[in-house]
Amino acid sequence: MLTTIVPLIGRRLIASIFILLVVSVLLFLVLHVLPVDPAAMSMPPTATIAEIEAHRREMGMDQPLWDQYAIWLVKLLQGDLGTSIHFKRSVWGLIADALPATIELAFLSMLIATVFGIGGGLLLFASRGSYAEPAIDLVTIVLLSIPEFLWALFFILIFGVALNVLPFTGRLDADLRLPEGSNFLLLNALFSGQFAIFWNALKHMVLPCFALGIAFSPAIMRVLRSSLIDVYQDDYIHLARLRGVTETRILLGHALKNAILPTLSLMGVQFGFLFGGTLLVEVIFSYPGLGSVMVDAVRNADLPIIQAVGLAYCVVVLVINTVVDTLYLVLNPKLRAQ
Amino acid sequence: MLRSVFRSSRVLIGLTIVGILVVCAIFAPLIAPHDPNEQNLVSILLPPAWSEGGDPSFLLGTDSLGRDVLSRLIFGARVAMTVAVLASLGAMIVGAVLAYIAGYFGGRIDALIGRAVDVWMSFPPVILSLILMVGLGVGLRNVIFAIVAVDWTRFCRVIRSEVLVVRRKDYIAAAQLMGFSHPRVIVKEIVPATLPLLITLLSMEMGIAVIVEAILSFVGMSVSANTPAWGQMVADARQTIYEAPWNLFLPIFAIFLAVLGFNILGDGLRRTLDVRLIARGRT
Repeated sequence: MLTTIVPLIGRRLIASIFILLVVSVLLFLVLHVLPVDPAAMSMPPTATIAEIEAHRREMGMDQPLWDQYAIWLVKLLQGDLGTSIHFKRSVWGLIADALPATIELAFLSMLIATVFGIGGGLLLFASRGSYAEPAIDLVTIVLLSIPEFLWALFFILIFGVALNVLPFTGRLDADLRLPEGSNFLLLNALFSGQFAIFWNALKHMVLPCFALGIAFSPAIMRVLRSSLIDVYQDDYIHLARLRGVTETRILLGHALKNAILPTLSLMGVQFGFLFGGTLLVEVIFSYPGLGSVMVDAVRNADLPIIQAVGLAYCVVVLVINTVVDTLYLVLNPKLRAQ
Repeated sequence: MLRSVFRSSRVLIGLTIVGILVVCAIFAPLIAPHDPNEQNLVSILLPPAWSEGGDPSFLLGTDSLGRDVLSRLIFGARVAMTVAVLASLGAMIVGAVLAYIAGYFGGRIDALIGRAVDVWMSFPPVILSLILMVGLGVGLRNVIFAIVAVDWTRFCRVIRSEVLVVRRKDYIAAAQLMGFSHPRVIVKEIVPATLPLLITLLSMEMGIAVIVEAILSFVGMSVSANTPAWGQMVADARQTIYEAPWNLFLPIFAIFLAVLGFNILGDGLRRTLDVRLIARGRT
């Protein structure tokens, strides 16, 4: 099995590096033909034109575009993402602080999306042919029409404002301090035994994670249902039925295993989108992750951050895709047999 | 086929919802009771007219600057519908043309377009459109351009695989043998075969475009601040969530309704036009 999987993953990684390079060129081009002048923006309004010019030279912005790109890329490879114009902090530090928060958020949301997606898909499939099918089907279209940020605002209105049962700003209550160490807050609190903080952080995750998870599950439900319908055309289902295997066991023990593969490849795409969806959910919940950093940077036209964070999103999406592809290969018995 | 399309209840429901919104958008100045930007600082954050403290001249209440919410919702439909129609048509044209070229000619050009799709797909759509808006600056034309530049891949991927199926059919070979030029084969033989899929995807994409525009205007990177847009209303209402939760609810509902209309329409079209819709993406 390893002999088939390792080269495939290797090829995947090489392709990812190529994609990242192209993305970095595109990012650079888009952000350097824009009408705003980051050199002027980073100076106080009283600065003279000569001062701005000097600053622009300092930032290397008087060089030809290709040279600027080459300088940026070389620094990037050396681990230097530049300095934020607005925060006067190293971009690397900003990302290192924010990325773990976003990864925790995205991971828990994917978990919820998977549970709801597979559960809902089975339910949809089980309802086929029944009188409730059209109604359930319509419900999934309604659910498909509610993007994550509408769920987020809706949850805030209901559980935050009206019922006041769950917190909806930040990662922790204001009177709790972030523990020392890594920014993987949940893991950090759990392993250092600070259960009060863990519990508080978890409560803060409920609304954003459910908003993302629920928004991305209907697509998974519908694909699982249609692949289950495909799988049920196969002979082994009839044979299992003839052998007297119960319907539940046919569904969960036989059909689901085969129907999960096409669903998995859709989930790869969905999770990439979900990771993008964290951006607005973070802003809405004032959650200090990559999305909040990005939106702040966009509002301040803070180019070094926008470039680096844009690239960071791509890296994560490529990692998600590679993991899902690997899982696909591991689970696919046809490839295992080779 | 056309008759069965209009007999589908989904198509009818979808068309009704979309139709109402389009009418609101086109006739906004006639329907709206107030100027959407007219501030009325003595009557800010009024609740809807039927609840206690409401003013009958502001049917759905006012926002934090005393602007009429109903009028802003009606004018907001203009931005949403303009973006929905133009951006999705643009994305369809770009994506479909590339898909026809890639699927029909195959080989190197197909590989090149495939790589481009891979690069685009490695970007979460929201992030890419946001970055494009930073580069382009705010404005309706730029929002439309950004959505086209991000979402053409949704059409390209799906149509390309459909073209691969269609082009192996005998009648394509027959057309080629009769000496039809390549462009003529594509336009006369392949495009009609993929039309149902194209229409379905277009309807779905319109819903996505509404969402993307709302997201961009929520973070202030869509149309300029003096053009009413639903996402902007959501962002404004978020500031007064405790005093005026209904202010938040109304634009949320408007966005939901628009997306629902396009999705039900798309689903109805998919069923009646019998399209094998392979992948269904979202923002």
